[in-house]
Amino acid sequence: MRTDPTTEFFGELGSRGHEPLLSKVTGSARFDVVARARTEHWLVTIDKGDIRVSRGKAAADSVLRADRASFDRICAGGLNLMAAVLRGEVVVEGDPRLLVRLQRLFPRPPGGQRLVADPAGRPV
Amino acid sequence: MSDGLVRILDGNTFVVSDDRGDIEASATDPTGLFSFDTRFLSRWVLTVNGERLNALSVDDLEYFEARFFLVPGTGTVYVNATLSVIRRRAVGNGFHEELTILNHANEPVDLSVRVDAGCDFADLFEVKDALEKKGKHSARAENDKLVLAYDRATFRRSTAISASEPARIDKNGLTFKIRIGPHEEWSTRLDVVTEGLAIGRSRPTIEEPERSHARMRRNLDRWIDQAPRLECDWDPLKATYRRSLVDLAALRFSPLIAGGHSLPAAGLPWFMTMFGRDSILTSLQALPFAPELAATTLRALGDWQGVGLDDFRDEDPGRILHEMRYGELTAFEERPHSPYYGSVDATPLFVVLLDEYERWTGDRALVRELEVEARAALNWIDDYADLQGTGYVSYQRRNEETGLENQCWKDSWDSISFRDGRLPGFPRATCEVQGYAYDAKLRGARLARLVWKDTALADRLEKQAADLKRRFNRDFWVADGEYFALALDPDGNQVDALASNNGHLLWSGIVEKSKAKAVARHLLGPRLFSGWGVRTLAEGQGRYNPIGYHVGAVWPFDNSFIAWGLRRYGFKEDAAIVAAGILEAAQFFDGRLPEAFGGYERALTMYPVQYPTACSPQAWSTGAPLLLLRTMLGLEPEGEHLVVDPALPITIGHLELLDIPGRWGQIDAFGRGRVQVERRSR
Repeated sequence: MRTDPTTEFFGELGSRGHEPLLSKVTGSARFDVVARARTEHWLVTIDKGDIRVSRGKAAADSVLRADRASFDRICAGGLNLMAAVLRGEVVVEGDPRLLVRLQRLFPRPPGGQRLVADPAGRPV
Repeated sequence: MSDGLVRILDGNTFVVSDDRGDIEASATDPTGLFSFDTRFLSRWVLTVNGERLNALSVDDLEYFEARFFLVPGTGTVYVNATLSVIRRRAVGNGFHEELTILNHANEPVDLSVRVDAGCDFADLFEVKDALEKKGKHSARAENDKLVLAYDRATFRRSTAISASEPARIDKNGLTFKIRIGPHEEWSTRLDVVTEGLAIGRSRPTIEEPERSHARMRRNLDRWIDQAPRLECDWDPLKATYRRSLVDLAALRFSPLIAGGHSLPAAGLPWFMTMFGRDSILTSLQALPFAPELAATTLRALGDWQGVGLDDFRDEDPGRILHEMRYGELTAFEERPHSPYYGSVDATPLFVVLLDEYERWTGDRALVRELEVEARAALNWIDDYADLQGTGYVSYQRRNEETGLENQCWKDSWDSISFRDGRLPGFPRATCEVQGYAYDAKLRGARLARLVWKDTALADRLEKQAADLKRRFNRDFWVADGEYFALALDPDGNQVDALASNNGHLLWSGIVEKSKAKAVARHLLGPRLFSGWGVRTLAEGQGRYNPIGYHVGAVWPFDNSFIAWGLRRYGFKEDAAIVAAGILEAAQFFDGRLPEAFGGYERALTMYPVQYPTACSPQAWSTGAPLLLLRTMLGLEPEGEHLVVDPALPITIGHLELLDIPGRWGQIDAFGRGRVQVERRSR
């Protein structure tokens, strides 16, 4: 089966079960992934951090809509979700506070490092 | 304003124009209509029969509204004094302007009234740094409005300008051909509506100016009503207090995610956004006056707390953000502010604010709500901020290109120096941050015991704090000078300049009792104390410059925390002297303390020399008189009670602060000035 970063991300998210970073969050968000003729819908439901992911176009507290290419980059850590929202690449409807909580879920850019320095002050 | 500019604002929308109400922004000056860090109008020029107008007077008593009284003609001789023009402008979703022309003549008059409009849609960062645009501008005259727009890929920002009276609209503005009868008037309403951020369902709404004025007026009245009332023999303090409350109201900013609640933005015009450090310190200063600011600040910063490692944004798990921006450069990741995390002190200060907030309000629900965030912040101190494994918090940016080099409050390039003026390498462990970390651990321990019921964590934090204090007093103490070094360099050497940071150390409590007296002597001594306040860097140090931003200027906010620190160690009179100097300086700025003023000896200049900066009002300067009031009255929560232990400068006379809100309900505090301040300020 063909996998892409978006499918992989939501697949992995659905398998997390409980996500401590969202333990105070209850709500739902739908991701509308637009690809040429077809739009894919991912519904993420959060109940005090317990996450369920399903496919399908259901009503949600917050809806995020973008091209597949954009979602692929966001889901792979190549594009910051908030920056994408600021430039209109992702359009958000509904509860904005949920957006801030959701951005915690997406991967950071690859290669991020805890800075540890040797006595000369050079990163090692 | 002394610079001839008129500023009105509401949250992060603000308009800066000249005293005629006109805007003719160049690429690099911050005039225009700004919202969410984007300029939505850079040209807005009114002419009557092709002539510019002359300002008679400006009324900008409300922070969200200004009135310009004008007459046609240029120069001092009015060519046509039979016409008066009034522009009444209020910030809304963009702004509204009521333009009225009065004909005082006995004959009718035919006029061509023109408003030129244009926009560069500059990102505030571009204005600051004079950068080029990458997208496309457009202007479209529709039948009832002029739409100015800027497009770059999916990024779009636009401004729609419309009028209530018939106008001929072209790409560069609106023209009204009108006739006004003898002793009659004509008036139109101009609406400038901004559109951009695609968050939430809300469409831009146009509120009737009268309604919006009434709403904002009510909001301001309520804000002032809710704050404690100040009565005092010394009138300038009353004026300064009122100014502080109004400016704090003006700087409130609702950051999209806070459900309509607001927190303090950092300062006009460059910093009308959420800053970790500034929002926290201002909330601390304002706690006895407006505790709800602290609650919103803690929630919003908690929502945005770092969760992963992102080198571009200098993000770590548990780190509290430094700065949030909404403009084009941030949107295209040419700047890291979505948000940027490069602050070394916001994270420990987050815990400090949470604890101080609970001590005042008794709101344990918020402490429970933010348990995960507070624990993550405490972990950050040990797991991500100890860059050298020496047990000290230090900073070094990972984003070498657009990240911040100095991540402490003194963030200019030359702020951290040795006595002889040399600059240390990175990472740098500045002293005040060790104090904040110490304080955060002890306060975290208190919350762990009291609310989270985690004794093991409390014990561990207390043990760590005691160990940090012991090491700090050994490693940072400059024995031959009897003060704490400004920082440790990457090799662990003392960066041995004498600086105001010593006062913050008193505030945090990390200073051993036996050393406190020497520290206080320095703070009030001739090298640091100018007579108006404590200089950022002591006279005689290599880089000392009385008008150097962080190397000699006096910062009111800095002094308010220094005074708090002096109080903490029992130096009540010294605290009163610092408070007196700063509050006396405020008189020279009509009660609005600037970000910083010159470190010149008071006896030399007789008045405080304003630092050449555009930031005013600035949140933590606005908060300084509030914290000084707390300090002078010796207000300190003890259990369910508020202790009042005044030590006031004699110049203040009698002082009452009535209805101080807190876990005790409301309490009044009284004091009478007894501390002699004159001898020290000579």
